[in-house]
Amino acid sequence: MFGWTGKLLHVDLTRGTCERREIPADILHAYLGGRGLGVRLMRDYFRLGPFEPDLPLIFAVGPLCGTNSPTAARLACVSRSPLTGTIYDCSAGGRFAWRLKGAGLDALFITGKSPHPVFLSVDPARDELHPAQSLWGKGVKETVAALSERGSVTTIGPAGEHGVLFANIMMGEGNSIGRGGLGAVMGAKGLKAITVQGDGVTGVADKERFEAARADVMRLFRASPVIFGELGIAEYGTPALVDLMAQRRMAPTENFRSTFFAESGNYSGPAIRKECGAKKEGCYGCPIQCKKASAAGEPLPEYETVNHFGALNGISDLHAIVKANSLCNELGLDTISAAATLSAFGEARGRFPDAAEVASLLADIAYRHDQGELLSLGSRRVAEIMGKPELSMSVKSLELPAYDPRGAYGMALAYVTSNRGGCHLRAYPISHEILRKPVPTDRFSFSGKARIIKIAEDVNAAVDSLVACKFAFFGATLEEYGELLSAVTGVEYGPESLKAIGDRIYLTERYYNCANGFSHAHDTLPQRFFEEAGSAGEGIEVPPIDRVRFEEELQKYYRIRGLDAEGGFGGRNLLAELP
Amino acid sequence: MRDQITKYTGKLLADRSACADGIAFAAQDDVLITAGAPELAALAGGTLSRLNSLALVAARPSLPFADFLIARAGQGEECIVPQDTETRTFLHDIPFLRRQDLPDDPGPLLARLLGTRKGVIVEGIGIVAVGAITVEQAFINYSSVFHSTFVKYLQDVLADGFRLPGEREAFDSFRRQWLRPLSATGLDFIPALSQEKEEILAEIERVGRYTVERGLVDSFFGNISAVAGELIYISQTAASLDELRGCIDPVPADNSSTTGITASSELLAHRKIYEQTGARVILHGHPKFSVVMSMLCDRKAECAIKDCWKDCPHVRELGGTPVVAGEIGAGGLAKRVPPVIGAGGSAIVYGHGVFTLGREGFGEAFAAMVDVENFCRDEYFRRVDGAKG
Ligand code: SF4
Ligand SMILES: [Zn+2]
Ligand SMILES: [Zn+2]
Repeated sequence: MFGWTGKLLHVDLTRGTCERREIPADILHAYLGGRGLGVRLMRDYFRLGPFEPDLPLIFAVGPLCGTNSPTAARLACVSRSPLTGTIYDCSAGGRFAWRLKGAGLDALFITGKSPHPVFLSVDPARDELHPAQSLWGKGVKETVAALSERGSVTTIGPAGEHGVLFANIMMGEGNSIGRGGLGAVMGAKGLKAITVQGDGVTGVADKERFEAARADVMRLFRASPVIFGELGIAEYGTPALVDLMAQRRMAPTENFRSTFFAESGNYSGPAIRKECGAKKEGCYGCPIQCKKASAAGEPLPEYETVNHFGALNGISDLHAIVKANSLCNELGLDTISAAATLSAFGEARGRFPDAAEVASLLADIAYRHDQGELLSLGSRRVAEIMGKPELSMSVKSLELPAYDPRGAYGMALAYVTSNRGGCHLRAYPISHEILRKPVPTDRFSFSGKARIIKIAEDVNAAVDSLVACKFAFFGATLEEYGELLSAVTGVEYGPESLKAIGDRIYLTERYYNCANGFSHAHDTLPQRFFEEAGSAGEGIEVPPIDRVRFEEELQKYYRIRGLDAEGGFGGRNLLAELP
Repeated sequence: MRDQITKYTGKLLADRSACADGIAFAAQDDVLITAGAPELAALAGGTLSRLNSLALVAARPSLPFADFLIARAGQGEECIVPQDTETRTFLHDIPFLRRQDLPDDPGPLLARLLGTRKGVIVEGIGIVAVGAITVEQAFINYSSVFHSTFVKYLQDVLADGFRLPGEREAFDSFRRQWLRPLSATGLDFIPALSQEKEEILAEIERVGRYTVERGLVDSFFGNISAVAGELIYISQTAASLDELRGCIDPVPADNSSTTGITASSELLAHRKIYEQTGARVILHGHPKFSVVMSMLCDRKAECAIKDCWKDCPHVRELGGTPVVAGEIGAGGLAKRVPPVIGAGGSAIVYGHGVFTLGREGFGEAFAAMVDVENFCRDEYFRRVDGAKG
């Protein structure tokens, strides 16, 4: 078999066992890897609660990992989110994914709960569990340093140990498995860290075809202003979006009360470069290198993070924002949810936190001290407990990122149809509504958006299963990645067959969620977006979203997906129909 | 979506790339709609309903070049490989279906081919192109296929002459009837552009429209800019030259803001040209004869370079205009064009298109592009006539 190793490592933390098992080839062909494979492997477990011991925590790489495919040294982490209650996956890049594949594995399947803290070491020679009492309680940097001789490290910080509902799993090189609180799932299992070692190579079925496809991808990267343009993400990282979102009047400000922050220039891409001496970094094996680090090697914040610790909390000091980002990384907290929770809390109590208070509250959250106990629950629960549920700017309990839905109607729809809650990455309509890729669409219109969002969700589910980076698709398309995949695996794939795989993955996730009680009632936005206008300026009006039109488009979306008017499956047993 | 279909049907008519009675679109949100010539509309609907895409166009091109390319293709061949570089970057190759291989219901087969490519040519029927997320995208892909088959056929005729019955006659009628004289006469330009934003935006918009209206370029491929002090005003990426209102980005020359992340992929080339020439405005498009002629090189036989379009280090010339190679975007074009364009105010990029500049306004740039294309057109036919003997 080319592309896949056909094996997963089954780890039972309750019994303390590690065992390599086969993955049937037809499952790999039908779900690829990454998110798709992880979601498929959840089939017998999706009803389990996020902290039940038998709930699996899955790390899955894809068939392109380990080859020279651009942006493909990535994995997906899949489980059920304690924050949202939905099925959850997150894509992360880095050497860890590459090593995991090199160790001869397509996936790690971790179940059970260890009676005392452990870490897992994966090595072609021997996979084993080790006591980790001495590491428990340690920050991310220290843990990574302590384990680095065993290979690439992924670990939780104090936040994961303490069960913060938006705790991340952090990768050694600064990448993170973010947003849905899978760090808390890992912590509940008593698993502090995982190390992987392995330098096996991924076989490529047709080398010549592979090189041609790779050249096509690279050519499209170079032709894309967003990727390699002189103002693009390779130069400035995602903070390249700061100026653009300000100009488009859709930068969430003060808990989404407004959509323009006059001081955002303090943390724009060029400002970060100037102030922090930003240099290029990025995921292992990626030619784009969109991540930035300070001269001292400290990872610098992404767009979402600068906006949320900045405008969303009314903070304009770049260094305070950078510090908040570093703190989150060290404690193992998701930056978007942390900042948005602080912002909702701030609005509810009538005062947004200032820079100094942010730092102390973050530490409190990670250790669940004082107010941190409440804030560790995320904005939805915080706002409810404070008696102002309408102030949580979240969908399905996931805090919204830094694209105001009043400024992009595809984004508005995509936030609610996302299977992991209010996330911008599932359909990434910003690509066409703002960045004009592959072609522009009218951001203030719902026309055609139901179909566009459905297609994009399918595409991205496939991308998350290859696993490739979404940013690659600012230039390339599934046409070229389908070629890469066919060349690597020797199995024919193209855009349509990949979208069909994406559709299968998407529906499976939706089915799991519906079985766990999610329905149409959860597919909605905070009422603020239907009632209050955003900030007008530069000839742009940002009116509230028309609720009737929104609902109409959502119903269209359900029909296109083959769902009923409640967004459900009727009596259909989807899983019985699927491989 | 009906309004979009009406709009892009109109564009296909205006740019004369499709026959008036041979245009159909299909589009789907939660329901499938079709419009246009009944048989083509049925084909469009039957194909799109099998695809996870939003729109599709099926149209008969106004020129028989695509069909000729199929008929001239060898037995085992299944696709046409475009030679012009920009189309090739986005299309890779264009699969075709021969008349005799066409099933009674071609929908499933077409859907399969369009499952991996943006456009397909069906012999005797036309070009079928898909738009993944918009009707416009289907139109763009149709235009790309039309452009690349046009260019490739002209190249092939020059290289190998006519081979099929009726080919010479069709070519002659293309030459005498389809083609129209290109000129800049009768157009209004601001002779010396001021530094004023509104004036600059309006002028860029107008010039963009002219380039399309005069048949100089296809609407989707090209970009325009003007410099004013510390700002470069440049058309956005994926913008149509005839619809630039609201699609022009002001980009600070010192990169102190990144709002221009949506600017044309040729921003770097424009910036370097301004730095090295002191020009006020730049026009870039893909006029077809210039693209064809730029790929003719007498050194082909002895030259060791394979990928001329990106690797050729020579500065060749066509009627006094320099011809250089180089990839778009962050590739090599931004390095090779600026040093050669200053002297005569125009430059041709191998297999791609033409850049021209104006020292005070767009009149000069526009006229220069017309001149380059006219020279290439005349030169092309001179060579075809010469080859016929
Ligand atoms: S583009 Fe950025 S996030 Fe994506 S793989 Fe490359 S470095 Fe990582
Ligand atoms: Zn061009
Ligand atoms: Zn040469």
